[in-house]
Amino acid sequence: MLNYTVQRLIQAVIAIFGVLTIVFVVMHLSGDPTLLLVPQDASAEMIAELRRQLGFDRPIWVQYLDYLYGLAQLDFGMSVVQRVPAFDIVASRIPYTVQLAAGALVVAIGVGIPAGIIMATMRGSAIERFLAAVVVTGQSVPTFLSAILLIFIFGVTLRWLPTSGAGEFRAMIMPSIALGALSMSTFARMTRIAIIDELSKDYVRAGLARGLSLGETVFRHVLRNASIPVITIAALEIGNLLAGAVIIETVFAWPGIGQLAIQSIQARDFLVVQVIVLLISFVYVLTSVLADLVYVVVDPRIRLVR
Amino acid sequence: MKLKLATVAAVVLGLMASAAFAQTKETLTIDLPNDAATLDPHLQWNTDSYTVYRNIFDNLLTRDTSGKIVPQIATEWKYDGDKTIIFKIRDDVTFQDGSKLTAEDVAFSMNRIIDPALKSPQLSQFDQIEKAEVVDPTTVKVTTKSPYPALLAQLVKLSIVPKSYVEKVGDQDFNLKPMGSGPYKMVEWKKGIQTELEANDKYWRGNPPFKKVVFRAVPDVSTRIADLKTGKADLIREVPPDQASAIESDSNTKLLAGETERVGYLYINAEAGPTKDVRVRQAIAYAIDKQGLVDALLEGYGKPVNVVGAEPIFGYTDAVEGYPFDPEKAAQLIKEAGAEGATVEFLTSPSYPRALVEAIQQMVNEVGLNVTISSSDQATFLKRRQGDAENAGGMAFGAWSCACQDADGIIFPLFRSGSIWAKYKNEKYDALVDEARIILDEQKRKELYAQAYEILREDVPGLGLYQVYALYGVSKNLQWQPTANEAMFVMDMSWQQ
Amino acid sequence: MIASARAFTQRLRRVPLSVIVVSILLTIIIVLAVFAPLVAPADPNNQTLLARLKAPGFTYRGVTYWLGTDDLGRDLLSRTLYGAGVSLGVAVLSVIVSTLVGVSLGMLAGWFRGWTETIIMRLVDIMMSIPAILLAVLTVAVLGPGFLKLVLVLGLTRWPRYTRVAYAQTLQVSNLPFIKASELAGAGAVRILFHHVLPNIAGPILIVATAEFGLMILMESGLSFLGLGIQPPAASWGSIMSVGRQYLERAWWIVAVPGVCLFLLVFSVNVLGDWLRDQLDPRSRSR
Repeated sequence: MLNYTVQRLIQAVIAIFGVLTIVFVVMHLSGDPTLLLVPQDASAEMIAELRRQLGFDRPIWVQYLDYLYGLAQLDFGMSVVQRVPAFDIVASRIPYTVQLAAGALVVAIGVGIPAGIIMATMRGSAIERFLAAVVVTGQSVPTFLSAILLIFIFGVTLRWLPTSGAGEFRAMIMPSIALGALSMSTFARMTRIAIIDELSKDYVRAGLARGLSLGETVFRHVLRNASIPVITIAALEIGNLLAGAVIIETVFAWPGIGQLAIQSIQARDFLVVQVIVLLISFVYVLTSVLADLVYVVVDPRIRLVR
Repeated sequence: MKLKLATVAAVVLGLMASAAFAQTKETLTIDLPNDAATLDPHLQWNTDSYTVYRNIFDNLLTRDTSGKIVPQIATEWKYDGDKTIIFKIRDDVTFQDGSKLTAEDVAFSMNRIIDPALKSPQLSQFDQIEKAEVVDPTTVKVTTKSPYPALLAQLVKLSIVPKSYVEKVGDQDFNLKPMGSGPYKMVEWKKGIQTELEANDKYWRGNPPFKKVVFRAVPDVSTRIADLKTGKADLIREVPPDQASAIESDSNTKLLAGETERVGYLYINAEAGPTKDVRVRQAIAYAIDKQGLVDALLEGYGKPVNVVGAEPIFGYTDAVEGYPFDPEKAAQLIKEAGAEGATVEFLTSPSYPRALVEAIQQMVNEVGLNVTISSSDQATFLKRRQGDAENAGGMAFGAWSCACQDADGIIFPLFRSGSIWAKYKNEKYDALVDEARIILDEQKRKELYAQAYEILREDVPGLGLYQVYALYGVSKNLQWQPTANEAMFVMDMSWQQ
Repeated sequence: MIASARAFTQRLRRVPLSVIVVSILLTIIIVLAVFAPLVAPADPNNQTLLARLKAPGFTYRGVTYWLGTDDLGRDLLSRTLYGAGVSLGVAVLSVIVSTLVGVSLGMLAGWFRGWTETIIMRLVDIMMSIPAILLAVLTVAVLGPGFLKLVLVLGLTRWPRYTRVAYAQTLQVSNLPFIKASELAGAGAVRILFHHVLPNIAGPILIVATAEFGLMILMESGLSFLGLGIQPPAASWGSIMSVGRQYLERAWWIVAVPGVCLFLLVFSVNVLGDWLRDQLDPRSRSR
């Protein structure tokens, strides 16, 4: 077990390192920010001079080693655009991203899991078919479309909810729904499958044969057993929600990491992008390691190889 | 008796006016497309940054609503020879921490921005300054490398920073906690989200109109408009002309249009590709229906221009005839040049109006060329547009303003050979704009620019399309007069119920 | 004859109505996309600046715009029809690219094991821990936008999903007795992988591909929405909507028309994909 954990963690570190390297190379292939920083009337010499001052004239491998050297000392570098440590910039956005992800998770779980339970226990009914349609719809509407529809209906026309910004609870409602819709579908499906799996097991059949009602069986036993795969999904969805917010955050002017990522890529603010990528891949890898471990703990029969 | 009545009337009017002011608003909220990149006024010079920090600082000089350069921190100035200019500094100005603003701070501000160690992206705007020296506590002497007529126009953009404070906290902290002598003090900067300013009640020009000002970053234009309509914002910038009617028709909002010095223009590569032939370039100029573009896509918020420059700039001339819309003549020129069906690459990025680019593409295609659009992100666009002529595309749209209201700030960087933007070389033209850059005689400069514009008309390395009107959406209670240089000083605004 | 016809109708009867409806819908969309040049009433790129932002049914100089016009006075119906081809084309081609890359690598890793396996599967780990949309935005910054580049970007960011499935399946299949037998009989690795392994793992791959197909359409429209899609004046549904977003109040149809089409397409693909999964996945057949 310990051995497996260590092995998994080493793999995780390699993966994160690989991610950083790939992103570093791709970013540098796309040019550097000097041209975006200088005023329009700068001369070629001045641009070259600023490029030299900022260190972008050095060969890419020198810049890479320089970056790694800083990283080894937990120095994530300065943003060339804002002249502030890149880590501070990203850190200031984390609370917003966490808020939004949490809001979306509440929507996804609050709607998805009950829907999944109903779909699994009331198979063949009209309500199951209706929910199935809702679930597929949630999966089929592009997030930006649902976002602009929500703004148009509840923001501009009815004026019930604020159209943008962060800081008040009401501002969180629309982005959470738009972002949570896709995860909602995932949760509903997974819950449905997990419960159906459980329902076909012997102990349930036996219970039903002994005269326990379906509802009782579900709430007493099935839910607890079915919750494990669902928890795993939840862990993986957190990573997806962090990254999936890119478009939603732009539309709702939500100052989270997704919006920052797009802006920093466009501004070629390399070191900020690196910190964001580092953070997201860290969360991705961490949650998937945790999910693996949860599986193993719950069901020791799972082979410890991948 | 008569006099008394007049006095009473004046008092009553005054009372009414102050009653109107009494209902004033506590907080003014302004939606910008982006957050300020830096609040150190000597670092980033982009609209979203300076819109915020220029309210925290005072400038050495400023412009009045008519565009004339007028005193702000400097009270008067005079040339001492061709390359030296002496500024008298106000002695009644204090910084927000109570310390006095002196000639030391003014000289420090200039020397700081031209110091290579600061790595200021604005360096190129001030690099003609050799040095600034303190003569006495209210006098500063500025020396330029050569006679430099655009100096005053550039100094309009120079914010005065407090020397002792900057030296005490260091560059990095000064950027995070800027402190100046302007009408507003920084309270809190939530990076990427909003900047909150608070009135400086000891401001030397009087009380600022709002207790608090909040600048919010709202990247999506539809969201900015929704914010204005729902009252979440009182002022929004960069309203697309298409959306103007939506703001005008709403009873709670109004549209402000400022005729700017910014000119929408088309760059045409004179050094590579099919456009190397001057007939092809002239054909493109004849092919474009400027009035049609302004009427349809700008909904009338713009004015066709005859040269690459708009009326508010020094050196603008109406003597040069613009190209009329004449598709037949254009087609004929293309035929003469043997360029029928030649492929011309039209570079653009999401920062430029897509509809306009597509409309121009169709107009030019209709006279016989084959225009293909290459849209990339801004960084890649600039790399190609400013790089080698061979790879710089055949055309590109741009909207240029130097915020200095001088032809030198437009046609010098755009077309002087050797400049990063120029894909054009004409020695006669170069000589004209070089000379106009280093003489102080205004009449002579005007004549030189008129000649330079005539050459540009003939060679068409670029085509002036229209004068840009900056469109702002504001709450119906906000009183403000937008300016040609697109500055946004809260001090010039007021609120009336 | 009669018996087989009856068997056919019986089998058809087991197909849920919803699946039949979406199949018809999907067929219509594909046919319209393929024959757009024949079906479209106008040139999708032809502008009429005097007929901008006109509502559906507007007639100008004898031309009727059945679904209205966009901000340059182009016929929205024609643009939507042509846009279907772009949206579908990008999705189909990028799924093909990622399937080819992903499945080959997965089979190689599962068959050869050893360091091949280590390298490929670690690369999969790396790719899977970069959010797809971020990677796509980054690669577009390097490659620039455009139809083929979009296919490459999407195809090359999504292959690891196929690799994981192909790898796991190959591991399982390679232990089957008949494959062991043909290996002993001296068949080459390529031959075995193509003739024996591939047919056996095609089912699960198809499941991944259908799920990915819907996602690809959404990703393409998302990138186009951010202005990183194909080059104007060509349009995909996503880029039409990106334009229309500004005109929501003045010209709702610019968003509504491609929006509804996009929804119907992805909805159909998802319903069909779910049904296909139930048919192919023995584990879920009982459900």
